This record gives sequence, structure tokens and C-alpha cells, in this order.
Amino acid sequence: MKPLTKAVALAAAGALVFTGCASSDNSSAPAGQEAADAPITVSAWNLSTTPEFPVLAEAYKAKTGTEVKFIDYDAAEYETLMVADMSANKAPDVITIKQAKFLQPWATGGQLADISDIASQLPSDLRGKDHFVVDGKSYAVPYRMDSWVLYYNKDMFKKAGVAEPDGTWTWDDYEKAAKDLSAKLGDTKGAYLHTWQSAVQAFASAQTPGASMLTGDFSYTKPYYERALRMQDDKSQVSYGTATTNKLTYQAQFGKQQAAMMLMGTWCAGTIVDQQKSGDADTFEWGMAPVPQATKADTAAPITFGSPTGMGLNPALVGTDREAKVKDFLKFLGSEDAAKALATVAKVASVSNDSVIEALFAYDGMPSDDLSKAALSKQKIEPEVPIDKNASTISGILADAHSAIMSESEDVDKALAEASERVKNEVA
Amino acid sequence: MSTAQTQTASKRAALKINTAATAPVSGPPINKHSKLRLRNTLLGWSFILPNFIGFAVLTMVPIIALFYVSFTDWNAFGAANWIGTRNFERLMRDTSFHTALFNTFYYTVIHVPLTFVIALALALALNQKIKGVAFFRTVAFFPYITSIVAIAVVWNMLFSPEYGPIDQILRFFGWANPPGWTVDANWAMPAVIIVGTWREMGYYMILFLAGLQTVPQELYEAARMDGAGAWARFWNVTMPCLRPTTFFVTVMLTIGSFKVFDLIVVMTDGGPGLSTSVLSQMIYKKGFVENQFGYASAIAVVLFFICLAITVIQYLGNKKASL
Repeated sequence: MKPLTKAVALAAAGALVFTGCASSDNSSAPAGQEAADAPITVSAWNLSTTPEFPVLAEAYKAKTGTEVKFIDYDAAEYETLMVADMSANKAPDVITIKQAKFLQPWATGGQLADISDIASQLPSDLRGKDHFVVDGKSYAVPYRMDSWVLYYNKDMFKKAGVAEPDGTWTWDDYEKAAKDLSAKLGDTKGAYLHTWQSAVQAFASAQTPGASMLTGDFSYTKPYYERALRMQDDKSQVSYGTATTNKLTYQAQFGKQQAAMMLMGTWCAGTIVDQQKSGDADTFEWGMAPVPQATKADTAAPITFGSPTGMGLNPALVGTDREAKVKDFLKFLGSEDAAKALATVAKVASVSNDSVIEALFAYDGMPSDDLSKAALSKQKIEPEVPIDKNASTISGILADAHSAIMSESEDVDKALAEASERVKNEVA
Repeated sequence: MSTAQTQTASKRAALKINTAATAPVSGPPINKHSKLRLRNTLLGWSFILPNFIGFAVLTMVPIIALFYVSFTDWNAFGAANWIGTRNFERLMRDTSFHTALFNTFYYTVIHVPLTFVIALALALALNQKIKGVAFFRTVAFFPYITSIVAIAVVWNMLFSPEYGPIDQILRFFGWANPPGWTVDANWAMPAVIIVGTWREMGYYMILFLAGLQTVPQELYEAARMDGAGAWARFWNVTMPCLRPTTFFVTVMLTIGSFKVFDLIVVMTDGGPGLSTSVLSQMIYKKGFVENQFGYASAIAVVLFFICLAITVIQYLGNKKASL
């Protein structure tokens, strides 16, 4: 080969590699183009550390003989990667909805098929089903339904001589207990409030009648913010500034007994159990309680917030031979069999009947008291973020307000007024 | 005719004689010449082709597409509907865009001169024949090659208002209420600027060091003989000779400052509130978080023209100063 020809060939090959045009092994064909008997493909994340996916696949295969194959995406960039794949018609058969707020843009953008026919066959009391409805049509089946509960360290309550939560706590009771615990436990804080905006705002919207972020009036969050600020000022919980700058993790705050109480989602229960077994968390007795309520009267029917995790159908499959097969898998997700499979890895399913709750609490290391069971099964769950085309933008505006308020850079009234003003200017 | 011109003319004449001596005896010379030219052109293209294809596919095409998308309501799915200048009209009344624009200029106006001065001072200091100079140069360059995420985590801990060593030292020296740094809306941007300057000064120091090597020593000697002190030598010898480097550093620093993204995202994510929100981070948020790619593209177009305008101004300024 002449030097010139060689140079051009090398350059062309290099250019192809550089521009990503070199042939690659694309093991899965676009949805709708696979053979009818090919495994059902489902988008997922962190397969090695997220046991819910393999147990669902095993349970479904045991029941039907059909194989389910999960496509691993990076958890931190899951939605961005899914948008890229969906835009390029490369998404798998089943699209997992990791955060419910993304359902609306994906559904209205034509990336999820209308599966109202399946939804109508699901149990009427399936939790989270309504969170996946846009303009009267269902776009996903919830298989997990995580809601927020109050975790508490029973050993610390005993040590401090403070009365444990009994399911009738108001926010005032919670604040007082945190203060008492902090006073009696020395360096340990009475409570830990994580840095997420939902830890304040979602309680406010769930527990305040008529409140909604979509109105653009955020005054309903004021009492909740004032309490959070009071608690960090009197040092009964670690400050927002310390939590953000030191990147505190909620798992370590509760698991390493840095705080006696923590408001967090039910996904954390299994994590605490597993970390106690592995030694990543201290060994201590703990429990769950319904979240505090605004008034004593409200504690009879406690309200919390939560968010389902679900799966929807790739519209490319509609009308193909595989549609019925994939829909059968989606239907399975709302079944007791799927819920019991999830219970084996301590995940809280969308199906919540007595036998599923029993299966969940049979997980070795889970608390066994009635209050913990009530926390998981008796609370009314309001959506964390409403299903609306403007929810994502308003949520972003509220995230800015949250950091301004909790860092005490701005006072509550000013930050909330600015957020309302921004909604007027920025929301189309 | 000067001596230099005479030398050049004689070199040209020699080259002509040489070419004539080696000219082929048979065949039309014009064809051979054009073949050689074609061969050289192809060879040249083969060297720049990989980079050019990469640039064209990954940069030029997206930039052209960006201009189109900025006039649409594209949300990553489905059709991109043409909406005229509506995205740009929205920018005019979007207060968070105004804040991000202000913050971008705030970051640039402080960060560029600060980094410039520190990098130049470091380069001058480390251009001396002192013991351990290689070690100090490495130390100064180290932040630039360190992971940005690691930098953010460590600096955030250093800036921590309650337990961070910086505030503890300030308290020790009597500052009763030291800044909250990254969790204080007034101090978050200075904190980011400090880290940005610390991270980049080593890189620009290397550029200045390279520039300093090109300054002829004879000029310093002549200046010394004329009685010029250190300050006079710096202003009248070093700085004029460094002009190509200072121009390059200023342009790169300015464009880099307008495009600042990673540092902000990992340190403050634009907060508290909107106190460190900048244009690049706003583009990311609007596009990839809120799926408003049309609007995000409009912001990117504004950023593109700001960078272009600033670079043209700097170029013209440099050209004028060179005359």
C-alpha cells in the first residue's frame, strides 16, 4: 500500500471511530421489530444493586415461562438517557417510570401508549394507579408505591426517656420530641430533615386542604418552612447548610444514629435492614410511624405523600404481534404475585393487602410492631408532584425557593413571593 | 537594501537554481507539478479530516441545528413547530434569565482578571531559577487535572459554615459571623469564583510560562543598561513581548467564564435560590430537566452571540494595540 493511500485509509478509519460511525454490536432491535418470542425488554437502572428488577423477572417467568430482559441505564441520568433513546426510537418494549413527574411529558409527547384497557382490569384499590392518568387515559401500571413515614430509633427514645410516636403525633409533638431528644442525647440530633424540597413542600401540599403547586400561590408552605427553620435554629436538627456542604446521606444519619427520627420514604426500610445486616449501619431497634399531621383530628386518617414507580408500553408495539404479550407483563405488575415478589427484597408494592403487608414484614430484620405496619398501609397517599404539563417547571422554581429559604438566604415570605412571580413570568 | 533583505533575495535565487537543477528532463513539468500539488493537498486533508469530520458532525451541525431549534417549540419528542421569535420574546421577560445573565457577567468580570493576574504572577515567580521550581510548577498545575467533582466535594466541606476549617479560622481571628459561603446567597458566587480561580490558575500559568520563554534576554539586558528597574522592565519588555499570550489567555479565559457550567453544577447547582445560576446551567435545566429544548436553544444562541461579540472586541483591541 502506498504511503498516501495508507494515510487516507487510516484517517478515514480514525474519523469513523471518532464520529461513532464504526459498526457496533446493537444487541437489541428497536421495539416492535423483534421476533414475537423474543424476551420482553424493560428499561431499568443499576441492575447490580436494584434487586426489584430480577425478582420481578423471575416471578413472571415462573408464572408464564416468558423471559424478561432488563436494559441497564445510569440511575443518575436515567430520564435524560431515556429521552435520547425514545427520540431515536431505540427505547425498549417497556419503559419504566422512575419519577412520576416525567409521565406527563412522555405521555403527551407520544412516547407512551394508552393502556387504559389494562388499567381497567387492575384492582380498583391499586395504589398509585391514578398518578399515571393524563387527560383521563392511563399510561403506566404502578408496581411500587413508596410513601413517606416517620422512622424512629426506639433505643434512643428509651435512652432519652421521651415518649415514642404513637400514631397521633401532630407537627408540634414532633418538634417538641426532637427538641427534647436533642437536649438529652448530647451530640445526637433529635431529627434529620433531608435537603430535598419534597421533605417540606410535599407535606405542605398533601396536608393543606386545597393546596396545589399549580396555583402559583405557595403560601401554604409557610408554616412548614417556619417549623423547619425553627428546628434547625434550635439545633434539634442539623442545618440545611451543613447537610448540603458535607453531602450528608440520610442512610448514614439514621443508620449511624446521628439522629433519632427521620422523615423519609418507605424505600429506606429495606436499606436500613440490609445495612444493619452488612454492618454499614449500627445495630439498634427502630420502627416506623405515620407522619405527623397538622391537627390531632387529622391523625385519625393520616395523610402523607408518595410516588409510584411504574412501567408503560412503548407505542411502537401497538398493533404488533408482541403487544398482547407485553401487556400481559404490565398486567402482572399490578398483581399480588408481583407484590409478594417485591416483598422478598423489602420493596413496598402498589398492591397493599394484608397478605402482602405480612409478606413484607416477614423480611428478616424488619420491625414487627403494629404501628410500623399501619405506617405502610393506613396512610392516605397524595401525589408528590401533580400530573401536569407545568409541574416540572414549577417544581424547578420551588427547588430554587427551597434552597433560598432553608439556607436562610431569604426570608420565607420574600422567597415564596418571588417563586409566585416567577411562575407568572416563566410558565407558559 | 538592508542586510536581511539581501540575504533573503540570495536565498530565493539559490532556491530557483536548485529547482532548475532538479527539474525533470522528460515529460511535461506542469502535470508533474499538479500531481505533486494534488498529492500534498490530499495528504494535508488526510491529516485534518478526522478532526474536521468530528468538528462538523459533533459541533458545526448541532450549532446550525441550534439556530433552527431556537425558533421552535421542540420538546425532544415529535415535531418542532415553528414559533418565530416567541422564545426570544420570552427571554426578555424571564426574570430567571436576567438573573442568570447577570450572574454570568458577575462571574466573568471577577474571575477573568483575578485568574489572569494570579496566573501571570505565578508564572513570573516560577520563571526564576529557584530551587524546587519544577515541584512548585507541578503543585500549581495540579488542581487543573483533578476531578471537578472531587474539587467540589472538598471545597464544599472547607466552606461548610458550621464545621468547615475556613470559617473556623476566620472565627479564630475574630470574625464573629463569617460568611456562609455556598449556602449564603451573597457569598455563594465569590466562593465559586475562588474555587474556579484556584482550579484554572495553573493551566494559564503554564501558558504564561511558555510565553515568557520567548522573551529575548537581550531586551532585558538592554533595558538594564538603560537603567530600567524591575517594574519598568515588566511593563516595557515583558508585557509587550507577552502580547500574543495575553491575548490568547484573555480570550480563552473569557469564553471559559461565560460557559462556566460544571463547577456551578457540582458546587451549588445554581443556588441558594438563583444566586449562582448562570446561562450554561440554565440551558441544561431548561433543556434536559424541563424538556424545553426550543427555549434552551434560544438561551444558547444568546450565549453564542455574547461569546462572539466579546471575542471580536478583544481581537480588535489586540489588533489596535499591536499597531
